[in-house]
Amino acid sequence: MKVLRRFFDKQEKHFTSGGKLERLFPLYEAVDTFLFTPDKRTEGPVHVRDVIDLKRTMMIVVYALIPTVLMAFYNTGLQANLIYQQTGLPGDLPWQAEVIRALGVGFDPSNLLANVLQGALYFLPVYIITLAAGGFWEVLFASVRRHEVNEGFLVTSLLFPLILPPTIPYWQVALGISFGVVIGKEVFGGVGMNILNPALTARAFLFFAYPAQISGDKVWVAVDGLSKATPLAKFADPVMEVTASWWNAFWGFIPGSMGETSVFACLIGAAVLVITGIGSWRIILSVVIGMVGMSLFFNAVGSESNPMFQLAPHWHLVLGGFAFGTVYMATDPVSAAMTRGGKYVYGLLIGILVVMVRVVNPAFPEGMMLAILFMNVFAPIIDRIYINRNIKRRLARNVV
Amino acid sequence: MKKYKDVLFDPIFNNNPIGRQILGICSALAVTSKLETSIVMSMAVIFVLSFSNLSVSMIRKHIPNNIRIIVEMTIIASLVIIADQIIKAYAFDISKQLSVYVGLIITNCIIMGRAEAFALQNPPVVSFIDGIGNGLGYSFVLLVVGFFRELLGSGQLLGYQVLKLSTDGGWYVQNGLFLLSPSAFFLIGFMIWVIRTWKPEQVEEE
Amino acid sequence: MSSDSTKKTIFVALGVCFVCSVLVSTTAVSLNSIQKNNQKREKLKNILAAGDLLQKETTIEKTYQTNIDPVVIDIGSGKLLREDGVPPDLNIQNFDLKDVSKDPRLSETIPPDEDIANIKRRPKYMVVYRVMEGDSVSKYILPIYGKGLWSTMYGFIALDDDLRTIRGFTFYDHGETPGLGGEVDNPKWKQTWEGKMAFDQNRQLRIQVLKGSVDPSDPNSKFKVDGLSGSTLTTRGVDQLVRYWLGENGYGPFFDYLREEKS
Repeated sequence: MKVLRRFFDKQEKHFTSGGKLERLFPLYEAVDTFLFTPDKRTEGPVHVRDVIDLKRTMMIVVYALIPTVLMAFYNTGLQANLIYQQTGLPGDLPWQAEVIRALGVGFDPSNLLANVLQGALYFLPVYIITLAAGGFWEVLFASVRRHEVNEGFLVTSLLFPLILPPTIPYWQVALGISFGVVIGKEVFGGVGMNILNPALTARAFLFFAYPAQISGDKVWVAVDGLSKATPLAKFADPVMEVTASWWNAFWGFIPGSMGETSVFACLIGAAVLVITGIGSWRIILSVVIGMVGMSLFFNAVGSESNPMFQLAPHWHLVLGGFAFGTVYMATDPVSAAMTRGGKYVYGLLIGILVVMVRVVNPAFPEGMMLAILFMNVFAPIIDRIYINRNIKRRLARNVV
Repeated sequence: MKKYKDVLFDPIFNNNPIGRQILGICSALAVTSKLETSIVMSMAVIFVLSFSNLSVSMIRKHIPNNIRIIVEMTIIASLVIIADQIIKAYAFDISKQLSVYVGLIITNCIIMGRAEAFALQNPPVVSFIDGIGNGLGYSFVLLVVGFFRELLGSGQLLGYQVLKLSTDGGWYVQNGLFLLSPSAFFLIGFMIWVIRTWKPEQVEEE
Repeated sequence: MSSDSTKKTIFVALGVCFVCSVLVSTTAVSLNSIQKNNQKREKLKNILAAGDLLQKETTIEKTYQTNIDPVVIDIGSGKLLREDGVPPDLNIQNFDLKDVSKDPRLSETIPPDEDIANIKRRPKYMVVYRVMEGDSVSKYILPIYGKGLWSTMYGFIALDDDLRTIRGFTFYDHGETPGLGGEVDNPKWKQTWEGKMAFDQNRQLRIQVLKGSVDPSDPNSKFKVDGLSGSTLTTRGVDQLVRYWLGENGYGPFFDYLREEKS
């Protein structure tokens, strides 16, 4: 460690003002503080001591995401291997499967290692591309605007691959995250100023720009050209097939975006976020309440032609990206509502909107992304109402 | 002569009605999914804008103040109907795509705005040129947006396949977002960003 | 005289109105015939496109006049109506599905259990275009419509004189997602319909649009058409509207009538 520290200290002069790489200081700073404690001290008389700072906040979110990442590895491999077991190995394999074959691990869906390894081969390239492409923009903006590269990007870059299907083309990954970082965050002034969740913005961009690669029934299993809809999409079909058992959906052994299938993994993450106080339990709770309320309402109304009306709340919970979005996206402290009352309203409306989009709109079986983005836009207004109310109340209390 | 030149070219970069004044956005979103429609729409707006400025300016000393707006509206509406009829007669395919948006030029704030702000105070010739200038400013934005939307959205320019689509065995994957209206928002936003980085004096003071 | 006096106000108002109305009415009247012509040509072009008759050498009007013979049929009974049987409200030359299917005098509601194309109303009379080769009919161009994902899709299907082979398929009006369902007007996809068989030897309606693509080794592949990739609901819409219109509640009776005529 000391050697590394000394190396960094030696290099520092090139990056500080006057050095030849002055413009790239953010890059140096990012790598340095990623490895070591930042040497920043609070200046001036106001001095609050707290162990939590932005860096630590973001790292906790990253830790909370680990269970879903592991599930992404396992389930992506599992879904592919299940298909290979059913149909046999096709002639031309994706390169990931070729690597597995070369390694001699095999394609047995009951073999934990085989699944995890194959899933990792799908997940990691997407993750690395996200880091590279998104990181490029982060450093570029940081250099031009002379601020530091923020740890927030570590969260964004981990969230984004988790909400993509395993078959997503790599160039779309790069394009999507570029859009998310630039339009979702940097145009508003960087971390803390953005009104939208950058990872979701990136996904929404891909969803509307290249719907064929991110929706429908061809993309969810990492086997070329195989048509296998997500259970949620199957339900929207008038044939109303239930293709997964509830427990399978709960554990996450169903086709879907890489990291969002397992409710169990999301629950672990939720526990971490709530206990550390980083994710708001108010938002999580109210999203669930909104979803349950709205789906019960639709169950009661019923419809002859639209089977989605019948989908019960406990199914809404485990299908699609509901759990993942509720735990990791809706609670994003930057884009969510900040006032206490506002959080309840914000969460409730997300829950209600998700079910509405899922049930009423035939084109989008998945409503979580749209519901959260939509409420992101409204969060500042909700906050404003609550803040103004608070100001009025306090004024009234102090009438002279 | 310099004055005429300024009146003509100022609205293109320095004081662009869309980029600087943020006027007339609605139609810029609606008709720009193809370059062809953008061109026809631009021409219609230049026509209406220049002639409405000219006519308002010609009778500016006679317009009674209390019916000023109505007189201007009548003139603008008539010019819009004429433009719409001509497009329907001579560019039928495009008129189907433009649907109601030619008619909606009436509500385009740029036209009313220029009549009120410029033509009422200035002589006919310079007003006419101001109309063309502002029309060109509007067109500039429309053409740029239309160019990128058609190119990236359908891989075409003016209906000719420039980028071979993957659905037809080529390499370019259609970007569906650019066929939807919100993409015009992004593009106009980018344009304003670029113009204001180039000419920082346009940034409003906070 | 000040500009703001009542007299001048009225004078200016009248003057502006007069000049404007003259200008507007002159343009409208003088361009009217060209516009009418445009609309008609548009319509003819769609019909010819469905019958695969669009040629560059001759004008649209000429091709239409020499090749196409529009006739009115009664959808319910399938019978051809003679000139005197045609209801006066129906305009053969300007037959517009969109208007007719909404007109209460010319259309009727469909019972919900028959309404697989999701169109709620259907015209009582249809104008069908016969493609003539000399004195005999070579194809029938039939107007069809039905609901896709977002919109009602309007189009034509052309059937061979054998009443089994599909000779052309086209949509001229729809509002489906560009790039996905919007591919219904992709010429390549339309072409895949040509030569497909709508009915088998026993006159059973067999044509279907698949969710994926057709396996060429399938012995029944001539009854199957590729679906549009990525748009399950538009594909289903196309499948259902074709089955509706070629089925018993659509042109079925008309086909029976034609077969009877022939034998």
